[in-house]
Amino acid sequence: MSFALEQLAPCFQGIIPAMLFTCSKDGTPNAAFLSHVDYVDPAHVALSFQFFNKSRRNIAENPQALIRVIDPDTQQGWAMRLKFERSEESGPIFDRMYFRIEAIASYTGLKGIFKLKAADIYRVESVEPVPEEEGVKERWSPRGRARQPDPVFTMKAIQELSARINTASSLDALLESILSGIKEYFGFSHSMILLAGEKPNTLVTLASRGYPEAGAGAEVQFGEGIIGVVAEAQKPIRISGLMRGMLHARAVAKRAHEKGWSPDRGVPLPGLANPASQLGVPLLVRGELVGVICIESETPYRFHEEDKSTIELLGSYLAVAIQNMQLKEAEEANGEVPEDRVAPAAAAASGDRCELTYYRGEEVLMMDGEYLIRSLPARILWKLLQTHQRDGRAEFTNRELRLDKSLNLPAFKDNLETRLLLLRRRLDQKGGDIRLVPTGRGRFAIELGCKIELIEKA
Amino acid sequence: MLDRTLTEFLEQGLAIHIGTRNARMEPNGCRVTAVRVEDQGRHLIAYLPRAATPAVIEDLRDNGQAALSFARPSDDRAVQVKGEFVDSRDADDGEQGFVLGQLEGLLRQLELVGIPAKASSTWKMWPCTVVRIRVTAIFSQTPGPDAGSVLS
Repeated sequence: MSFALEQLAPCFQGIIPAMLFTCSKDGTPNAAFLSHVDYVDPAHVALSFQFFNKSRRNIAENPQALIRVIDPDTQQGWAMRLKFERSEESGPIFDRMYFRIEAIASYTGLKGIFKLKAADIYRVESVEPVPEEEGVKERWSPRGRARQPDPVFTMKAIQELSARINTASSLDALLESILSGIKEYFGFSHSMILLAGEKPNTLVTLASRGYPEAGAGAEVQFGEGIIGVVAEAQKPIRISGLMRGMLHARAVAKRAHEKGWSPDRGVPLPGLANPASQLGVPLLVRGELVGVICIESETPYRFHEEDKSTIELLGSYLAVAIQNMQLKEAEEANGEVPEDRVAPAAAAASGDRCELTYYRGEEVLMMDGEYLIRSLPARILWKLLQTHQRDGRAEFTNRELRLDKSLNLPAFKDNLETRLLLLRRRLDQKGGDIRLVPTGRGRFAIELGCKIELIEKA
Repeated sequence: MLDRTLTEFLEQGLAIHIGTRNARMEPNGCRVTAVRVEDQGRHLIAYLPRAATPAVIEDLRDNGQAALSFARPSDDRAVQVKGEFVDSRDADDGEQGFVLGQLEGLLRQLELVGIPAKASSTWKMWPCTVVRIRVTAIFSQTPGPDAGSVLS
């Protein structure tokens, strides 16, 4: 091989589609665009096989192929002569391609239609620069990376972030310090952490950074978007050419619709309106999914393979720390005895009137006609507001909530402290007319900046 | 063969490639700077950068088999035209404006998907060799379940 395949890493990010040339047994050539070429090892690449098409039939007859890829940073074209070796329908190469395609498909409601049938593995026999596509000498692409990946810098950053994890005093502080650290050390400005929700196969946003809306309480179903697919697969996913992938998927969606197929409901992208790169990493403890950390950028190819490894490593520390913090906060809260059960309201209800409507059947709490929160956090807030209105109490303990059968907390791992944190953040996000203020270990007070009116509906 | 609608699509400035093959059934291919539809859609005039691999021209002269792929980057609409080589010549200066006009169309398309035109400024897309291809079949290549269906 004239040029090393590893040098062509930017070409394999799916930012600019590749071109595949094949030839049938009877000598008819075929030229087709290819959504993705994946690097396998120094002598192999994998091509995505999604639809039975002419290229695939040609390869079955004649295993020789030529692909042309373009380096998105320099625009240098490269031609690779390939020979088909095998198709893989499982395994790490297949999984990596499959889950990336699944994530893109879910954004366009195409799960099950726009899917990978197999990863076709080809031996690379030669790599040559394309003469008419001569690239620029300087890389034009603003990757936003302040420095080149440096193992010493990365290790130091991981050390510093580990120290933050170890010294965090609460789940709230832990999540905040990690997201701010990711920005500070790696320059990743848009990030969010979602933890396992109350309902099965859901995640709920606990913390985010870099978005106009904090999004606390936003739910993601397993299988939806990169976050949902990461949760479902329990594997990290890195997408560099999301814009290209989405265009490709939308073209398929349009064709599928024209043929009378009915794709699922499209899922709005979480976070950035137009992300070009996404990195999602599952937070796992002994195989149990604690949550997902997702980082986004509007810059294509913003996240490199080493970034994925770094965030995976950080995620493994973070997952254990989150689980430990949840246990610690629950234990501390359980040790507290309610003292001031009939204390008057800490803050006088003044100012505007605020209408809260609880839909018991759906367990949804609305505030002035707008969605506030659902499920367990909604049940808790409704209970607190009712108690406050009836008895005038403002101070509560986690322990009494845990013992309250009407809240219907799970008997095992109720994650009450996480739900309270979510509730607190969601209320802050809604403007602060109703606030939950920690007053000590396992204790908090409800503060009202408005006169509340409670309405319950079936 | 190529109707008015298809002709307008092909000549608007797209990502165009030509695929050929040699006597050992090895595929070859290169980028195409521009195309012109002639003879009521029966022939395609393709402008191949002279800098491109000479293997493509050799293949065309050897066996005449050609496949031209056209794709619009902003929505992935794509068409493939199969054909047979008729003849070739050097492009003359009078054709440069038309050819580079189509190239600019492609660069505008690439801008829409986040690739600045200046990024491709070093590509050697002119001067060109002109090849005449007799159209034998046209297929849809837009990604999806009906990719490969016959258009004409």
